[in-house]
Amino acid sequence: MNGTTTVSLVGVGGQGILLAAAILAETAFAEGLDVKASEIKGMAQRGGSVQSTVRFGANVWSPVARYADVVIATELLEGHRGLGLLAPQGTLVCATTTRVMPGSVLRREEEYPDDLPAAARGARLIAVDAEALARAAGTVRAVNVALLGAASAVLPFSAASWRRGLAAAVPAQILAVNERAFALGRGAVSNEEVGP
Amino acid sequence: MAGGVGYNRCPVERTLFFSGNEAIAHGAVRAGAGFACGYPGTPSTEILETAARLDGIHAQWCVNEKVALETAVGASLAGVRTIVTMKHVGLNVAADPFMTLSLTGVNGGLVVVSADDPGMQSSQNEQDNRAYAKFAKVPMLEPSDSQEAYDFVAEAFALSEEFDTPVLLRSTTRLSHGRGKVIPRVPIEPEPREYARDISKYVMVPQYARLRNRLVLERLQKLRARAEESPLNVLEAGTADVGIIAAGVAYTYAREAFPKAWFLKLGMSHPLPQHKVARLYQQVSRVAVVEELDPFIEEQVRALGLPLVGKEALPADGELDQDIVFRALEPFLSRRPPRRRRPVFAPAPRLADPPQPAAGLPVRPPVLCPGCTHRAVFTALRRHKLAPMGDIGCYTLGALPPLLALDSCLCMGASIGMMAGFNKALGRKAAAAVIGDSTFFHSGVTPLIDAYYNEADGLVIVLDNRTTAMTGHQGHPGTGLRPDGSQGPAVDIQKLCEGIGVRCDTVDANDYGALDARLKAELDAPGLGVVVALAPCVLTVREKAGAIVVDDERCNLCGLCLDVGCPALASGADSVAVTEVCTGCGLCIEVCRRNALSYAEGA
Repeated sequence: MNGTTTVSLVGVGGQGILLAAAILAETAFAEGLDVKASEIKGMAQRGGSVQSTVRFGANVWSPVARYADVVIATELLEGHRGLGLLAPQGTLVCATTTRVMPGSVLRREEEYPDDLPAAARGARLIAVDAEALARAAGTVRAVNVALLGAASAVLPFSAASWRRGLAAAVPAQILAVNERAFALGRGAVSNEEVGP
Repeated sequence: MAGGVGYNRCPVERTLFFSGNEAIAHGAVRAGAGFACGYPGTPSTEILETAARLDGIHAQWCVNEKVALETAVGASLAGVRTIVTMKHVGLNVAADPFMTLSLTGVNGGLVVVSADDPGMQSSQNEQDNRAYAKFAKVPMLEPSDSQEAYDFVAEAFALSEEFDTPVLLRSTTRLSHGRGKVIPRVPIEPEPREYARDISKYVMVPQYARLRNRLVLERLQKLRARAEESPLNVLEAGTADVGIIAAGVAYTYAREAFPKAWFLKLGMSHPLPQHKVARLYQQVSRVAVVEELDPFIEEQVRALGLPLVGKEALPADGELDQDIVFRALEPFLSRRPPRRRRPVFAPAPRLADPPQPAAGLPVRPPVLCPGCTHRAVFTALRRHKLAPMGDIGCYTLGALPPLLALDSCLCMGASIGMMAGFNKALGRKAAAAVIGDSTFFHSGVTPLIDAYYNEADGLVIVLDNRTTAMTGHQGHPGTGLRPDGSQGPAVDIQKLCEGIGVRCDTVDANDYGALDARLKAELDAPGLGVVVALAPCVLTVREKAGAIVVDDERCNLCGLCLDVGCPALASGADSVAVTEVCTGCGLCIEVCRRNALSYAEGA
């Protein structure tokens, strides 16, 4: 509604969802936009699903939105679940090799989904092997930032703003590795995958 | 900008992007508050954690919300502007002092922050605490974003001192954990307020309380007049022939859903500014009230005899958002009013059906961490035929599959009283109580004293992991840790229990054999006993205990180890597998009957 863009970040506690959201917010600030954000984190340390939403535009009223223009999922099952958050014609940026098994799957009571979240349902899917990119950057913990790099292909921010966003939100001692992960993620998404 | 005066920790060189909770803490310091206390509870916790990092204000965790409010009253009487924070259900705990505090009034301004949780992201109910403002006849402010959260705190302190009343500052999850830009204001230096002895004001024996109660009713009338003038209650002009009354985050949803409507935006939502409401009705022919949870504003507007659209269109449970508000109200607000030709709104864009996730995806409930010693206690406890009464903390997760080790969870500190009543009614040791260390101090000591006095049978297990783990490792009287990280004196749980007169033993929760034996012995013993199962929270312990390996020949996938619900154990093709999140606690080795699990040699 009214020119506000909504990005939701979903994953599992401990995957750096809140840091990725902070980078996104700082980047939007660097573009001179208004930003509001919201997070659900009560169970974040106990292996539950985590969701953070960042909204930006000229003037943002509500901190939340039911549907997101872009959903960034740092884990495959959460990517499947994240489809439910996606607006029509939205884009899902999903880590496809990062899998965190819930207890019911470990005990073989439920099946972990084998397929990728279905682009067939009208959503555009950008599938990213973020774990490999993060490893290449220097730490598997940077899956969140590698994905953000991939998502940057569909977000309306300049490279300079992303640099400022990263510098503002990421602690100095891990900034370099996260910059590398971001660049690898950004480079991994070709123009073809982004589409028109 | 305020030139950084009084904002030593504020990074003013870039945009301040505060959560509502951070904004409330900074707003309190800006308003000259010198004392902050509370009890942690989502979504209120970060207010006090932020205050503890700021200069010029003392911050402390209290044993529970009731004690926190009583402590705050003491600081207020001493003349200091004081803020006390809690989640919505915490105000139930503090309701006793809160209701009478309305009668005594304050000295230094006193602001009570209630952080409500519509949708129950992290709570056992979703009660609407606006009712407490009406119940206690105190003014209530409802910020709608971080800037207002920051600004309204100063307004709340001013109201508190001018009208001699506590002020309820009501937040909700989306305000407390939402983030928005904040422009800092010039710091306020409140007038010093000396304490003066005033028995008829502060001693609420009936004869004085009756007098004070009259003053409360007069105060409410004066507050009504103030609400009419208050700049916090704004009539915002629109271009459409509809009006919306809203407060808090619900205002932001309505504002985004209906940008052309008139708005009566209530920042001070109790008492209701009735004349301002009437002025809105003079401007438009249709009015809607947008609020989460109860029809709090709606009922008051209806009582004025004014027609509106409210809860017949909008849900009375859970959170709202701009989409829900738009879909619910658009049919009402765009319906043509009688004898008017022009449509109120341009035709709404039809929303296509959004994509849906596949059905039957595995759920991801929160689980006890790998290596959590609560799991060992539950594993030992469920071997006995008992009704374990639970309490509130990480260990409440023991009630979920596959452990299913707790029978109840009602509210903070309820376990021991429920156990005592259960056992008393049945005349035997049929229930146990399981309570965490912080919850024990919160409200477990008083029911333990009661159980001892009333000679209740029972076993109380204190899961002492040396922290308030669930809310993010805050200190408590058992550890002596303060929110700024400094160490104060600590209370010894075993000595405390023995001081009451209750038999008490402490056992290492990492030693499963000893733990199991101690619980069994205590269950066989007559009367009331306490076992303190002691082991620091695994999240605070960095080193791994040792690598665990599986003997594929011996393992027959019987499922006994999987049944303890450890996220580090997975069911493989022919045998279980230990994943990299294993901390080496060894509980799976204890429960395996085929010796298929063991510590790796040389580990």
